[in-house]
Parts: sequence; structure tokens; C-alpha cells
Amino acid sequence: MTNAKPAQKGFLPALKRFAHSKKMVTLVWILGIVVIWEIFAFIVAATKRTPVNVLPHLWEIIGSFFSDKKVTGKMTMIELIGTACGETLSRAGIGFLTGIVLGYILALLMNLSRVVEKIAFPYLMIIQMIPILGMAPIILSITGDINSARIVIAAILTFYPVSTNVLAGFRSVEREKHELMYSYAANKFQLYTKTLIPACIPYFFTGLKISAPMAITASILVDTLQGGNGLGCMLSQSLKGGMTRLVFWDIVLISAVIGILSFVLMGVIERLLCPYKRNRTSD
Amino acid sequence: MRSKKWLGMLSSVGLPLLFGVVIFVLWQTQILHSWMGTDTITLPLPTRIGEIISQNNESIGSQIKMTLIVALGGLVAGSLLGYLIAVIATIFRKWGAGGLTIVSAFNAIPIVALAPVINNWTRDVSNEVSVRSTMAKIIVVTISCTAAMSVNAFRGLTELKPFSEDLMKSYAASKVTVFLKLRLPNSLPYVFTALRVSVPASVIGALVTEYFAEDTVGVGRQIRENIVKGQYPTAWAYIATACAIGIGMYIILMLVERAVLKRRRA
Repeated sequence: MTNAKPAQKGFLPALKRFAHSKKMVTLVWILGIVVIWEIFAFIVAATKRTPVNVLPHLWEIIGSFFSDKKVTGKMTMIELIGTACGETLSRAGIGFLTGIVLGYILALLMNLSRVVEKIAFPYLMIIQMIPILGMAPIILSITGDINSARIVIAAILTFYPVSTNVLAGFRSVEREKHELMYSYAANKFQLYTKTLIPACIPYFFTGLKISAPMAITASILVDTLQGGNGLGCMLSQSLKGGMTRLVFWDIVLISAVIGILSFVLMGVIERLLCPYKRNRTSD
Repeated sequence: MRSKKWLGMLSSVGLPLLFGVVIFVLWQTQILHSWMGTDTITLPLPTRIGEIISQNNESIGSQIKMTLIVALGGLVAGSLLGYLIAVIATIFRKWGAGGLTIVSAFNAIPIVALAPVINNWTRDVSNEVSVRSTMAKIIVVTISCTAAMSVNAFRGLTELKPFSEDLMKSYAASKVTVFLKLRLPNSLPYVFTALRVSVPASVIGALVTEYFAEDTVGVGRQIRENIVKGQYPTAWAYIATACAIGIGMYIILMLVERAVLKRRRA
């Protein structure tokens, strides 16, 4: 927290410090992207017959999001997208949590028993190479229900990054710490709660950062396969011309934002849970 | 001692194999079906899937080719682009690091949202549906492979061994020499770390973009089309193919990695 204490007072030095900070760099990059987007949007607007299909202006997209015109029978855009978001995110969330619990339990079992590890580890490796998202349609037809399909796929996609990372976390504990716990005559339960589980938390969050955006992608993808009210359903309806094209752009923007936010959220939770890691982890 | 080592190896190959066999038997005897509450139409027996694959290997082969073009094209383009971004970020360190944050944020954008956008953009590229559709797919895979490479390669190019940079300076080495003799070799293991992420990602990207593409070709599209038509055994044959592509590409990567990094260590 050295930044909070200004070396020099006054407006200009503060501005100067801000201009050299990391936030400034990110801000300039974002502004740059917005400017490039707008330049291309103007070119597209001047040359294409249906610019809204190719690249609408950002203000058009954001404006349509807040406009109070009815998009479907009785819902405005923000209500419509809100319900769709809720639908998609709640399913992704349930699957995500299920995946976390199962993945953690498997990692624990693998660390407790050599037999379980020998059986499960090769399959954990293989499942990383298999395109699970490509199997979405068949999982939909096995479960027969779009909600359970979303949960199942999100759970599978969450399960293996959590499992492999937590196991790596357990393995990262040095021999000396094991020996220390042994000299304290700690039992297995104490060994886990005092040493191994705290040690694996950063690894656990690495797994979560990988899987949170994947769970959301999975949920949206399953939406596009069948009708309903999820984000993906609206995406495909808008592409087919069932709603205005701006709905499509709204959803693209929203899903990009929630994908990024889910990643950021995991980092925030990590920092809340283990503030002592703040200065040591570098990602 | 020796027999113990043998026993260990035997169990680490035998146990997973045994597990696989148990699953196969449960599947074949339809016990798995009753557990999952499904039938042999949606989840055909493994022997039936094998039969379909051997009957249609010619058409499956041509679909594999379409998917591989997209996956490999995107993988190569994305990795090169990612490495280039990392090099630029290394040269302009301060602005580059911030730019990398933005690039890795792009990684969190769902492919599902990206694919239709790129489809719109490539509409004017060519009058041939297959050409512009393949191009759109390759671009999507490229984007999904770029972030992993740029972030990892940047670390490889900048996280050098302590004092190695000072040593180069004491040799009065130019920036180009430092780059070629120090940074480039140092980044090699990081490149493979990135590829371990982006090789599976390229296969997934290829399959998923095929769902949204204009042209109805590729392994992923065939999975979906066959399910829509209710031909589940054929769909499963393509799922098995997709898994084989994923596993095959990963094994090739491991072999290349072993060969390259071994030579480097020696």
C-alpha cells in the first residue's frame, strides 16, 4: 500500500503518478481498442448495406441495451437479457459447484490412496485431451433436458482442472513439512487440515480460474443447441432473424464481459480467502 | 527390489486398464444404460460404434481432414501471432505487459460468441462458401490459441536466470544477440507449456466453430447433424473420432517436446 501515500502533494504530481501506473497502461489499451472499433464501425457504416450485421457502433449496442423499447411481446432488452443471463449463469453455477466438489474429493482420494491414483490419473490426463464441448449435443440427448445437460457439461469441464491442480498442490508440500508434522505426532486428519489443504489453496484457485470461463462457455453453447431462455438460445434466434441483430451484439458483449468477470471474480475470492498470498503469487 | 519395481509398473498400467475393461463390459452388457437411464439408441454399444467407423472410414477420413486443416491452421497462426506479441511486449516492456493483460482477457471470451461474429466479417472474402467458411473457422481457432502462447512466451523471454542478463552485458552483447542467444532459448520450455494448453483448445475450437459455420463439414458438425437426424450410432462414431484427434495431437506434441527439450539439455 505504498501507492496510497503520496510523496508529493498536489494535483499535477498525482496525475503524473497515475500516468506511470499500471492501471493507466490498461486504460490506454482499452481506449485504443474502442477507438479502433469505432473507426472500423464508421468505415463499415459507409460501405456496407447492413452495417448492423457486420460491426455496429459501440454506442448503438449499449444504447439498445438500455432502451425501453419492447423487444419481444412484453419485455425490454434489459429484462430479456437479465432473465437469460440468470438462466444460463445459474445452470453454469450449479455445474461449476458440483464440479469443484467432485474434483476436490477425487484429488483427496488420489492423495490418500495409491490405488485410486493409479486408476484415475491416466483418465484425468486423457479427459484433458478429449473435446468435451464437442460432445455437448450427445450429452443433451442422453440427459434429454437442457438444464441438466448444461449442469453436467459445466461440471465435467470444472472437475478436471480442479482435480489436477489440487493434486499438484498436495504434492507441492515439501518433505520437511511432512517430517515436522510427523515429529508433532500429527494424525492424518491434522496433517490434511493444518498442512496439505492450506498449501493447495493457490493451486485450487488456478484450477478455478481455468474452469470458470469454460463453465460459462459450455452453458451458452448448450443453449444454442435447443430452444429455451438462455443467452445462447437468444443468440441463435437473433442470428436466424427472430429478433433484431442488436440482440446478437448485446449477447456477444455480455458473454464476453461475464466470461472475463468470472475469471476476475476467482482472483478476488482468492485474495479475500488468503490475503497473505498477495505479494507472492504472480499471475 | 527389482520385483517390487516390476509390481509397481504392472499396477500402474494394469489398474487403469482394468478400470477401462470394467467400463467396457458394463457398457456392452447395458448395465451402464440402466444406471444412466438411457437406451441403446442414444448410447449405442461400443461394438456397434466400431462397426460404423469401419464401414464409413472413407467419409470419416475426409471429415477429419477438414477439421485438422482448421485446428492445425489456427494453432500455427495463433502460436506465431502469440509469440510475436510476446516479442513486441518484451521490447516495449511497460506498454507490452499491459497489452498482455488485455490479450489474456480475450481468452475468457466464449468461443460461442466469437464464431458468429467472425462469420459475419468473412462474408465478403470469397464467393466460395467453403473458402470463406474455412477461413472464418481458422480465425476463431487462431484467437483461442493466441493468449496462452503470448502470456507464456512473454514469461519465457523475460524470466531469465539471475545474472545471465548481466553476463551478456559484460560481453558487450547487442540487444539482438541477447535476444537470439539468451531470450529465445530460454523461452522454449515455456512455448511447450503454452502448446499443452492450446493444442486441446485448438481441437475444441475447431469442433465448436463448425457448429456455427456456413459450410456443413467437419467432425464437430457431423456430430450435431447426425444427432439432429437421429442417427446416434454415426454421431457416436464421430465423437470417438473427435476424441482420437484430440488424443493423437497431444501425443504428437509430447513426442516433439521430448525430442526438442532433450537435445537442448544435452
